[in-house]
Amino acid sequence: MKRVPRMLALLLAAALMLPLSGCGSSDGKTHLTFQIWDVGQRDGMQAMCDAYTANVNPDVVIEVQVTSWSEYWTKLEAAAESNTLPDLFWMHTDQILYYSEFGMLADVTDLFPYEEHYSEISINNAQGSDGRMYGVPKDKDNICLIYNREMFDAAGVAYPDDTWTWDDLEAASQAIYDATGNYGYMAYNDEQLGYHNFVYQNGGCILTEDKTKGGFDQEATREAVKYYVNLQSYDWCPDQAYFAETTPGTAFFSGKGAMFLEGSWNLLAQMSNYPDMVGKWDVAVLPAAPDPVSGDGRATISNGLTYATGARGKHLELALDVLKYFAGEEAQRIQGESGAAIPAYEGLEETWISAFDKFDYQLDLENAIMSQFDYCVQYVNNSARPKWKSGVVDIMTSIYNGSVDIETGLDNIQNLINTETAKKLADS
Amino acid sequence: MKPSSMQRTKQLTTFLTYLVLILGAIIMIFPFVWMILTSFKTQTESMQIPPVIFPAQWNLDNFVDAIASLPFVNMYVNTTLMILFRVICAVVFSSMAGYAFAKLNFRGKNILFGLILVQMSLPSQIFILPQYQMVAKLGMANTIFALVFPGIVSAFGTFFLRQTYMGIPTEIGEAACLDGCNQFETFVKVMFPLTGTSVAALTIFTAVFAYGDLMWPLVVNSDLNMMTLSSGLATLRGQFSTNFPVLMAGSLLAMLPMVILYMIFQRQFIEGIANTGGK
Amino acid sequence: MGKKAIRLSAAARREENWGYLMIAPTIVGLIVLNLWPFIQTIYTSFCEHLGFGNYKFIGIGNYVEMFQNPEVWRATWNTILFCILTVPVGLFLSLLVAMLLNAKIRGKGLFRTIFFLPMVCAPAAVTMVWRWIFNSDYGILNQIFGTHINWITDSKFVMIACAIVAIWSNIGYDAVLLLAGLQNISKSYYEAAEIDGTSKVNQFLQITLPMVSPTLFVVMIMRLMSSVKVYDLIYMMVEDTNPALTSVQSLMYLFYRETFVAGSRGSGAAIVVWTVALIGIITVIQFIGQKKWVNYDV
Repeated sequence: MKRVPRMLALLLAAALMLPLSGCGSSDGKTHLTFQIWDVGQRDGMQAMCDAYTANVNPDVVIEVQVTSWSEYWTKLEAAAESNTLPDLFWMHTDQILYYSEFGMLADVTDLFPYEEHYSEISINNAQGSDGRMYGVPKDKDNICLIYNREMFDAAGVAYPDDTWTWDDLEAASQAIYDATGNYGYMAYNDEQLGYHNFVYQNGGCILTEDKTKGGFDQEATREAVKYYVNLQSYDWCPDQAYFAETTPGTAFFSGKGAMFLEGSWNLLAQMSNYPDMVGKWDVAVLPAAPDPVSGDGRATISNGLTYATGARGKHLELALDVLKYFAGEEAQRIQGESGAAIPAYEGLEETWISAFDKFDYQLDLENAIMSQFDYCVQYVNNSARPKWKSGVVDIMTSIYNGSVDIETGLDNIQNLINTETAKKLADS
Repeated sequence: MKPSSMQRTKQLTTFLTYLVLILGAIIMIFPFVWMILTSFKTQTESMQIPPVIFPAQWNLDNFVDAIASLPFVNMYVNTTLMILFRVICAVVFSSMAGYAFAKLNFRGKNILFGLILVQMSLPSQIFILPQYQMVAKLGMANTIFALVFPGIVSAFGTFFLRQTYMGIPTEIGEAACLDGCNQFETFVKVMFPLTGTSVAALTIFTAVFAYGDLMWPLVVNSDLNMMTLSSGLATLRGQFSTNFPVLMAGSLLAMLPMVILYMIFQRQFIEGIANTGGK
Repeated sequence: MGKKAIRLSAAARREENWGYLMIAPTIVGLIVLNLWPFIQTIYTSFCEHLGFGNYKFIGIGNYVEMFQNPEVWRATWNTILFCILTVPVGLFLSLLVAMLLNAKIRGKGLFRTIFFLPMVCAPAAVTMVWRWIFNSDYGILNQIFGTHINWITDSKFVMIACAIVAIWSNIGYDAVLLLAGLQNISKSYYEAAEIDGTSKVNQFLQITLPMVSPTLFVVMIMRLMSSVKVYDLIYMMVEDTNPALTSVQSLMYLFYRETFVAGSRGSGAAIVVWTVALIGIITVIQFIGQKKWVNYDV
């Protein structure tokens, strides 16, 4: 019987503790939240936020929070619906049109003279369908080829360079497989880190120029996808079942494979996560299509994230002020120096490269990453993208596992993109 | 001759019993052993063919990596608090409701009890979005409260404690309260203290399930410092994808406190759970 | 009814008020947290989701589409298959373990502790180590047996792999419940049977099984309910880039992908309603069926 009052006391204690563990803004400062999805960039983002507090507005404190990619969009959409968006958050090209179309994002067009400091691609990535800016350009990235130097040496093959074509990729893979028994190029079923690059190299496209139709009826596109999918039939390439259990990165850094496509945003993390591997690998430009249907055979997919804030946020004025700071040189420089990502701000690319200075081995970033911006292709997007993205992935999976033959699969992709896009255009 | 053959059969039965149990125990324990062994290996070592059973060097790098990426101390505290509050809520509210459903008469009792049964058959994934919006509107995302929120009431607890109260003769309450205390006092002073075993069972049941809950903490608390052990592990997986040695080290760190508690209180744990089977 | 209500005595009215007061937190909580969202889900299943909580009523369109979608039927079959694989096999093994533990043996406590261990481990951790054990190239399982089975990525094996993990995780829990049931059986029954010369098998069929059947029923219902709703385990074992996904995708996994990945909340909600209907059917069958084999006389 004596237990009951104790229980009540506990409950009382509980009631007392709940508000304590809540947001304690007892220091008289305004606390803003900043939501991102990449744990690896948390420190860099926090450094920017702290710099804002120190140099611009000491009364504002910004806390960076991380939700992993798979939960991020579930959560953000739920938050947008209930008008509880975080004060600041990252926006992705896949979603910006969808969010801006529903009026969820604050217009930041007049915040900053973007044209003076940002490339056209960066600005495009931040625009809504109406041409207004709904995000502040954050970074830019592209895809490079990453290769294991030791395996190339063992097979006596020259390292990849800008003379390489798909044929060289195959030949090197075969040679490495023969010499070392390890996988060569690991052709992973992925869009941005996979077949999209090959499609554009071959002169094809995922969406037509006006973004109203898919490009999967074009010969160049079909040829490239077929080529890419067929790579897994070689002995030197693992199949998709392998990748479902062991990602190309894991295979590469444990010495099981010689090459794979990697995004520039991951390079710093790979250097620090695998200290034993530093010096054993390097990066190169993507190989070119040997005989493209059009163009010179060179392409890499480039994307860029943006910083955004909700259109009806509680701290809209403050959030806009922070965004303005994020757009400026100082914040972009901090981002670059932290190694988080290549600043979208033109002329600050070197700050990102300097973040690699601390390592004993210097990657060939200048040639592999920076030179590729000359011919990079903007990450594919239209306002119906959220509606067809997962469908296309499913069809690609069924092409890979053989439940749909490739011709039919490509037709299905084309139909899916066209139908969803037409539906979207009719709605708006 | 006869007794010795019987003896033999008996010996054989005992032998088989041990054999099956030991084999079973090996299968049950092997994943844990493998987890421990892997967590001390380098990634290259873990992927060797033929496999390496013992790491060449018992290196702690994987643990260092896991601890560097996740605030384990916070995760332990958050998980403990979440479990504590969920248990308190489940015990207090379910005891009250269970008692009322078992011993008191009021109109609409059956319909309201039906509600409890319906809830138990609904898949919990459908509540994530609406419940998240409620928490967000209250401005309580990234708090301990948010973690506790879906566990404030427990349909299972209510159902289970109702069974318990049904098993206690009503006369006990009446006899003890001849001096005219009200229903609530009867409950608090007489009936509730009689349900110790069931409350203990519910406590363990609630704790085990709160500990394993993954989707909810992952969605509602995105501040790294406000994560639970389960959601932290999922985040670790997002970061290290298929780098199994680090994932195994993280898993070990996440499991350790609960396993130690279990080792200490294993009798209470197991007997508590045995009571949730009813009857 | 109305008259009766009016004529309630003061004491009965007080009792009623206490009743309402004591269930209030639970009932209010359930309505707000669970019932209302479920009603919304039912409504959503008749709508198309345009984005950000804007819905357009479209009648039974989602249901028509759902029943024409082979993926839904596949997921329904997968769910049923998962139940078939985990419930009977799991119960059989749990009962076996419980009976062995109920015998006169040494180290009973140790065995019980070991079998129950998975229960106190976060599923997130458990699935991670199993994925590693099942890994086709570097996993220890294939290495021990010298096989090269794609446990997780081959459509023929992936369901078995998931079922193994599910059974492994729950066997201790179920065995402990069944053991409690077994221990309630009075020894005198067996002694009497021994004197009559009843064989061990018949003892099991005539005494053990009927006597433990109420517990078995409870365990079965619990296991079945959670198996129909299975999601977490498969989600953590099989990512959505896995080529064998369609062979293991359960209804709730499909719901997750429709709602959260593809953003079609309408179709997702229809899948939920379909799942709940299935649960209802299974429950009814169970409660009718129990009369045939569950023995409540003891």
